[in-house]
Amino acid sequence: MDKILYLFSEGFKNIWRHKMTSFTAVFSLFLAIFFVGIIFSIGENTHEILQYLRAKYKIEVFFDQDIPNEKALGLVHKIKKINGVRTVTLIDKEDAMRIFKDQFGEDILSILGYNPLPVSAVINIVRTSKVPVKADNIVNKINSMDGVAEVRYQGSLIRKIERTYYRIMNKLPFVAGIVILVAVLVIYNTVKLSVYSRKELITTLQMIGATRMFIKMPFIFEGFFIAILSSIFAFPILIGTIETGNYILANFTSWGIRLSFDPIIWVKLIALSAFITTIGSYRAISSILK
Amino acid sequence: MIEFQNASYSHSKGNGVNNLNVRIDDGEFAFLIGPTGSGKTTLMRLIYFDLLPDAGTVLVGKYSSSNITSRKIPMVRKSVGMVFQDYKLLRDRNLFDNTALPLHALGFPRKEIIDRVDEALDLVGLESKIDHLPTELSGGEQQRACLARAIVKEPDILLADEPTGNLDPVASFELVRLLETINEMGTTILMASHNYNLIKGRGRRILEIKSGVLRGG
Repeated sequence: MDKILYLFSEGFKNIWRHKMTSFTAVFSLFLAIFFVGIIFSIGENTHEILQYLRAKYKIEVFFDQDIPNEKALGLVHKIKKINGVRTVTLIDKEDAMRIFKDQFGEDILSILGYNPLPVSAVINIVRTSKVPVKADNIVNKINSMDGVAEVRYQGSLIRKIERTYYRIMNKLPFVAGIVILVAVLVIYNTVKLSVYSRKELITTLQMIGATRMFIKMPFIFEGFFIAILSSIFAFPILIGTIETGNYILANFTSWGIRLSFDPIIWVKLIALSAFITTIGSYRAISSILK
Repeated sequence: MIEFQNASYSHSKGNGVNNLNVRIDDGEFAFLIGPTGSGKTTLMRLIYFDLLPDAGTVLVGKYSSSNITSRKIPMVRKSVGMVFQDYKLLRDRNLFDNTALPLHALGFPRKEIIDRVDEALDLVGLESKIDHLPTELSGGEQQRACLARAIVKEPDILLADEPTGNLDPVASFELVRLLETINEMGTTILMASHNYNLIKGRGRRILEIKSGVLRGG
């Protein structure tokens, strides 16, 4: 038990004894964790942004001039049942007239003597879909309904947004993979350099009869502590970056988007860095002890 | 007991030791003398299995170079204490931690480590410098600290490779006296030196090595 405690405390003390090496290792790890964390956060928040944009998608349906209100209501119910439709708001002739007056300041009835504005409906599309929203399919179904005169929507814009989002989401794992790979190499080599810089200590320990495990353990514990330290430093900086993003979004845009940071990402980062540093330390020390 | 049986070792650059045959009995104090590059350090390294002979066998206690495995080498070194010319003290820890290192490696309980370190530092006259870093000690003190680290585990064999190489004549004499005191406690000692004046007239066996070949013994 004394021996385990000693090895554990040695791992911790080594960080203090070799301040500069430890600082370099912690800083490199911190940077690696930070960038991987940012990539993970982008993945998390891109869907939030897409949901915001999807909330702006609008399909306007104009019904035939002489359509009775009951039939228009029936069509609205039919439209609501189409897959991908979130809400449908019916705008009858009177509502259309009020909207016209709000927008143009003129009473169309007093100008023309009758109300030429058709009954219409505004359709909002589901926001949370994990698959691309296909507004064209919805529009085609609506167009085929009897009593529908015209359907207007931002077809090419929706297609562009959806295509861009899924392109990003398809490429993100590769980008994340590359960033993680670079981070792994940085962490691994930092740990390796830190171990190599203490070759003299390792030789001395061998000379006095220390077993391989006795020599290895403090380095492995040290690598683990460095990973934990780096993660502890990375957490507030990641939160700070997300909050800065939120401050900019809240004060300089009217998008109403709030970025979030899932603490599970942080837990994953700790586990990843601890795993890499532990393996890195073990392999580096093993190569010296050969 | 240390025994070389027709043991030879060649370094890649050519020098080494050739066909060594010598036996050092338990409790003996022997000197190994020879000029720089004659093979003294190679012979020492063969004893603590830092090198394994190309030919022949080296026996150290119950261990033989012919069947030793890398995992068993620490077991040999547990019974062999080493004093180096360049001390090999860890500069980032104090005298207590340096001296206690072999005991931690051997798994001694904390209480016993404290007692043994006190005893070893007392023996080498450094009990008042227990909290000092190696860089705060003189050359002679660092060598005595190295000796304390070697004897703290009470080894059967003590190897001292040019321990007086960096010391002035007075400190060198004191160190040899200290080694004699340790030998009187039953430890087998082999001390390498190129300073004949320091070892002559002490009534100890002197092994002379030249160009890797041993004479005397």
